Formats: sequence, structure tokens, C-alpha cells
Amino acid sequence: MAHGTDTSHGHGDTVVDHSHHAHVCSFQAFFGIYVVLLFLTFVTVAIAEPVSGLHLGSASMLVAMAVAAVKASLVMTVFMHLRWDTAMNNLAFLGSLIFLSLLFLFTLADHSTRQVADPIGGTPVDVKRFGEN
Amino acid sequence: MGHSTIVTPTPQGGFQTHTVAHHFKTAEQEFQSAKLAFWLFLATEVMLFGGLFAAYIYFHDVYPETFQKGGALLDWKLGALNTGLLLTSSWTMAMGVRASQLSQRKPLVWWLVLTVICAAGFMVVKYIEYSTKYHHGIFAFTGLFSPDDHYAPDLMGLAYPQLYFNLYFTMTGIHGLHVLIGMIAIAWLIWRGAQGRFHSGWYTPVELVGLYWHVVDLIWIFLFPLLYLVP
Repeated sequence: MAHGTDTSHGHGDTVVDHSHHAHVCSFQAFFGIYVVLLFLTFVTVAIAEPVSGLHLGSASMLVAMAVAAVKASLVMTVFMHLRWDTAMNNLAFLGSLIFLSLLFLFTLADHSTRQVADPIGGTPVDVKRFGEN
Repeated sequence: MGHSTIVTPTPQGGFQTHTVAHHFKTAEQEFQSAKLAFWLFLATEVMLFGGLFAAYIYFHDVYPETFQKGGALLDWKLGALNTGLLLTSSWTMAMGVRASQLSQRKPLVWWLVLTVICAAGFMVVKYIEYSTKYHHGIFAFTGLFSPDDHYAPDLMGLAYPQLYFNLYFTMTGIHGLHVLIGMIAIAWLIWRGAQGRFHSGWYTPVELVGLYWHVVDLIWIFLFPLLYLVP
């Protein structure tokens, strides 16, 4: 199992192990990703309803989250080296995102089907508004 | 080689030799073991914040106006500034890891110093935001929530405005705690890096702190539009 272990550099009973090789990104690659991330942040702000006054309706949040997802995937694949990492490490981290999507999916499913599941049994919630006693 | 000491290659220039722990067969195995464990830790971090994001999704669906008017009280310019600071720190951290891979001792230290400066800038902006809100009676916990009418007239008649601000302070608070912990970890890397501890033969702590720092950035990428730019 001494794969990649070079005993020729050994002194006495000390062995120099050259087995570890890592992928090194270029300066240009990292800087390019950084510029794209800043640009996408600008896009996020520019199309946001409170800033631009654009009315995209329910698509507004979806667009913001889609841009954030692109930014996140750039950070993960390049800055975090996942693109060049082992399948096991990819599985460990991307697996958490799959479980996260299950959490979100069932949370949304619960909310959107409440009335359907219990059309008459539920008591309407008395919403207390701020400033009221 | 059963009883021999395994070391990783040490480049020229005053670097310290790394001895592979005796229970590992190769340097590669040692590196990958540490990394897999750290990726699993990062998965738990995703789930920690994931619970809070799920709470946000649910309550935003139930009380959209509360989130919209609550979010309007935050200054999106400060949020955008902090996004820029964290993205910059993520880039400088990636460059720091690269410097350690290439056994560049001084560049490693300087990239990490830039990272800590950006992180400190982030915390200063966060402090300004928190103290402004606190002085206007807006804070987490019900007992500390009594917004003054001139600063936040839109909160009147709103369903549970505390809900939005409790989520805001909890999510950014836990995130800010991660920034502080990251700053301490990076400061430690600077100290050990200056001593020549990290080089192409062994840079595992730089790699792991780097991954942690990118996750802190990842979470903020989603927090910024969700909290500051609520449509």
C-alpha cells in the first residue's frame, strides 16, 4: 500500500512520501470567478424590487434564488475545488444539499396543502397585529 | 516500511517537516481522511442553517407583508457592501490556499491577512447595523422589541413583525459567530504560516479552514437577498 511512496529519498528509517498531489488553480481562474461573483451580486441588487422598483411578482424571489444558486455553485466548484475533489467528498457535501431540498420540499408541501387536508376542521388563526391590544 | 517514520517532502526555504501520523499509511490517506471528515462537518453546518432557512420559507409564505416591510427597514447598501467584503475574502482565502500549495510563505501570510481584514470589515458593518436597530428598539427577543414610531411606522398593524426580526438576528447572529470563529482560525494560520509550517508537502489546516470560510460565504450569498431584498 506504499503507493507513491518514494523510499529512495529516505534517510535511515525516515521515508519521504510523495503520494499527495493536489490540483492547483491558476490566478486567472480564481480572479475570473471573483469578478463573475461580484457581477452576479450587482445583478441581484439591480433586479431586486426594493431597489429597482421592478415588479416581477412571484418570480422575483425565484430569480434572486436562481442567481444565488449560480453564485454558490461557482464558489463550490472552483473556490472549494469540488470539481477536482474525490467522489466521496462530493457525495458528502452534495448529499447534504439533497437532504436540505427534502426539508424545504416537505415544509412547502405542508403549508400549501393545509387547507386541502383539513378544509373545515381547522380553526382560523386570529392574527394579532402589531400595536393592537 | 512498517516501523519507519513517514514524512512529506519539505521544500527549501525554512519550512518545517511534516511527519505523517503513525496510523496512516500514506500522506495522501492522511490528507483525504481529514478532508472527508471536514466535508461531513460542513454538511452539518448546511443542515444547521437549513433549519433556519426552512423557518424563513414557511413564515415568509404565511406573512409575506411582515417580511417585506421588515426587510425594508434594513439598509440594502450595507448588505451589498458586506456581500462584496465576504466575496473578496473568499477569493483571498482561495488565493491563500493556492499559496500554501505552491509553498509561497509570504504570499500565504499576506492573502490570509487580507482575508481577516475583509472579515473584520464585515463585522464592523454588522455592528453598525445591529446597534442602529437596537437604538431604535428593534432587537431579537420579545422583551427588547419596542420599535419607535418615527423610525419604523410601517411596522404598525403588521402581523408579528418580531417574527422577521427574530429570524434576521438569529440567522445573521449565528452567521456572524461563524465569521468570528473563522477570523480566529485564520489568525492561527497566519501565525503558523509565518513559521513555515504550511507548504506543498502539508497544508491540511489551510485547506480545511479555507473550505469552512467558503461555506460562511455560501450562506451569506443566500442570506443577503432573503433578508435585505425581500420583494
